[in-house]
Amino acid sequence: MRERIVLLPMTKVQIIGSKGKLEATLRALQRLGTVEIKDVTEHGPALVLPRMTLDQAVLAQREEIGLLVTRLESLGALLPPLAKTADLSRLYEEASLKSTEELVAEARRVLSEAGPRAQSLALRRDELEAEQASLTRYHATLRRVMPLAAGIPELGGYETVALLIERRSSGVLDLIRQQLNALTGDHFEINAQHVDQETTAAIVVFPREQSAQVNALLGRENISQLRLPKELAGVSFKEALATMAARLAAIPGEIERVREELRRLGEEWALWLALLRAALGDRLRGIEVVGQVGTTRYAFVLVGWMARRDLGALKEALAAAVGPQVLVGELDLSREEMKRAPVALANPRPVRPFEFLVALVALPRYGALDPTPLMALFMPLFFGLILGDVAYGALLLIFTVLLLRRYRQGPLRSLSQVMIVCGLWSVVFGFLFGEFLGSFGYRAFGLKPLWMERSGETLMSLLVFAVAVGVAHVMLGLVLGIWEAVQARSRRELSERLGKFIALIALFWLLAIVAERLPRELSTPAVVALIVGVALLSAPMGWLGGILGPIEALGALGNVLSYLRLAAIGLSSFYLAEVANQLYGMATNAAVGAIVAVLLHALNLALGIVSSTIQSLRLHYVEFFTKFYDSGGEPFRPFKQSGV
Amino acid sequence: MDLGTGLLAIGAGLAVGLAALATGWAQARIGSAGAGALTEKPELFGSILIMLALPETLVILGFAVAAMIILLLKAGA
Repeated sequence: MRERIVLLPMTKVQIIGSKGKLEATLRALQRLGTVEIKDVTEHGPALVLPRMTLDQAVLAQREEIGLLVTRLESLGALLPPLAKTADLSRLYEEASLKSTEELVAEARRVLSEAGPRAQSLALRRDELEAEQASLTRYHATLRRVMPLAAGIPELGGYETVALLIERRSSGVLDLIRQQLNALTGDHFEINAQHVDQETTAAIVVFPREQSAQVNALLGRENISQLRLPKELAGVSFKEALATMAARLAAIPGEIERVREELRRLGEEWALWLALLRAALGDRLRGIEVVGQVGTTRYAFVLVGWMARRDLGALKEALAAAVGPQVLVGELDLSREEMKRAPVALANPRPVRPFEFLVALVALPRYGALDPTPLMALFMPLFFGLILGDVAYGALLLIFTVLLLRRYRQGPLRSLSQVMIVCGLWSVVFGFLFGEFLGSFGYRAFGLKPLWMERSGETLMSLLVFAVAVGVAHVMLGLVLGIWEAVQARSRRELSERLGKFIALIALFWLLAIVAERLPRELSTPAVVALIVGVALLSAPMGWLGGILGPIEALGALGNVLSYLRLAAIGLSSFYLAEVANQLYGMATNAAVGAIVAVLLHALNLALGIVSSTIQSLRLHYVEFFTKFYDSGGEPFRPFKQSGV
Repeated sequence: MDLGTGLLAIGAGLAVGLAALATGWAQARIGSAGAGALTEKPELFGSILIMLALPETLVILGFAVAAMIILLLKAGA
């Protein structure tokens, strides 16, 4: 099949070798990391081979490695995170060269030497933290009760309990007083006081022999007693408070000592632990992949996708690592089979940050057009057209430069790189529209529009321009769609897209006649073109086409009108900036006016950045992509080492 | 300003205002369902963003009608 632009050309390969060389082959493939291994039975009718079954020894090894990886992970979680080491990748390479048996033995040694120590330290730390939390709670409550207890003498043969009652239920104290009177015959003392807005604390002293009855009474009335920790049971409140304070003062030091020991343990073991975990994880994936490999009596057969450009390197690497007993060959695939190839985008460096915006919806199907370069061209352009302000654009550039310095990789870096281009276009359109914080630039230093100002006066021109951009963008989408349909030899899609293209031209032709921009005599060919377009659009839909065809044609017109947002949102952003400027002018106190204006401009900038991004993305996803984009590709996931 | 002009201005306001309400209503329903779906499947972010952005066409068309009325007013003035 003829390869098309920008998607990385893929090929399906078949690797055949003697069974004894399978492990070495898989290790070499994993180290190379360029082949996505597929299940041999899913390949299709050409290869009907049984899958390789794992023998008991390998199954046992898989189970053991799985268990070891889990244990290493849980041990790693107990230790402080691994600090970045310069030669981490070299150490990982060294670890991955060891045999599986060596790695397993090493993992066992690490677990037996560091595991118990780390576990006991972590347990001690957790216990201390739990004790600290619980004592803090007791201490706070006891301190509230203490003023009451201070007024009660400590008597032998008497028991003291502290109660905490919600203030709104404090009437229950009278009931308890009556009941205690009946039980003990005036041999008791209750001292109650509101301790905060919600709680009343009470101390009750009663003869110890009535303990069971009093506790039963309190239980019956559902009153919570302040119970001290077990180790402080039977101690007076005052002593308990002093003991708790001393313990609370000592615990942080103990926790810090335990943490320090864990840190030392981490320094000693964490690196080796992470390396073993990664290397054993790789081995586990290697064993799992064996289940996808086909087998004959003496040979293994492995199929997988890879980038065609890496084929030479793969052959060389396998010849060097395994020897001549392994053969690599490209499979001859039909057009339909090639459609199932995984997708790897391969755009030039300036376009690459936009790939994640495309992948946000879905990857293109293999063989289809990659819309990333078009998105890289139009998305920042639309963004700039909406925001269109020199100051806002410059501020956005400053923010994104700061973000770029902070994020060295990942989606936030890509987004920042996208925003750099967006900011540049905002500055360009800012000069074209003559906007610097709205019309502040004009009043402060006479900034004039290079093209036209954005205001109610130029509304018509702005709307016409936005629709013109829409026509160009949607038409480009349809042209690409027609080209795609021709390439894929899909008559149905060709008829639909060509019909939409012709109907759209005819509709605007008619609109121009209604607006008296074109002579009325041209209306007959316009109507004929519209009928032809709708007929082409309706044809593939069968009998439903009569209804759906005209609706689809109007839908395409709606897609174009949707580009009015380029003018509408830009204009609203301009007016919000104007409101900020006018509030500054109206304020009697210049400082207050300046603060209000700065805040409103900040709000406008934030809204402008968010809405310009969302709207320009939406125009791509909904209006543009639907004209040609063939999505549904599976991402290319080569079988490779995981890294630390 | 005569009564007709005022009514046209109110009409323009209603065109964009009612369309905005309709968009808001639709987006509220899509947004809440989308937020629920995202907690289960974060990879749907792109599709949900598209669905969330779909009703915005309503308010844009409302704006187009309002702009036409305003331009009509200007042409009459």
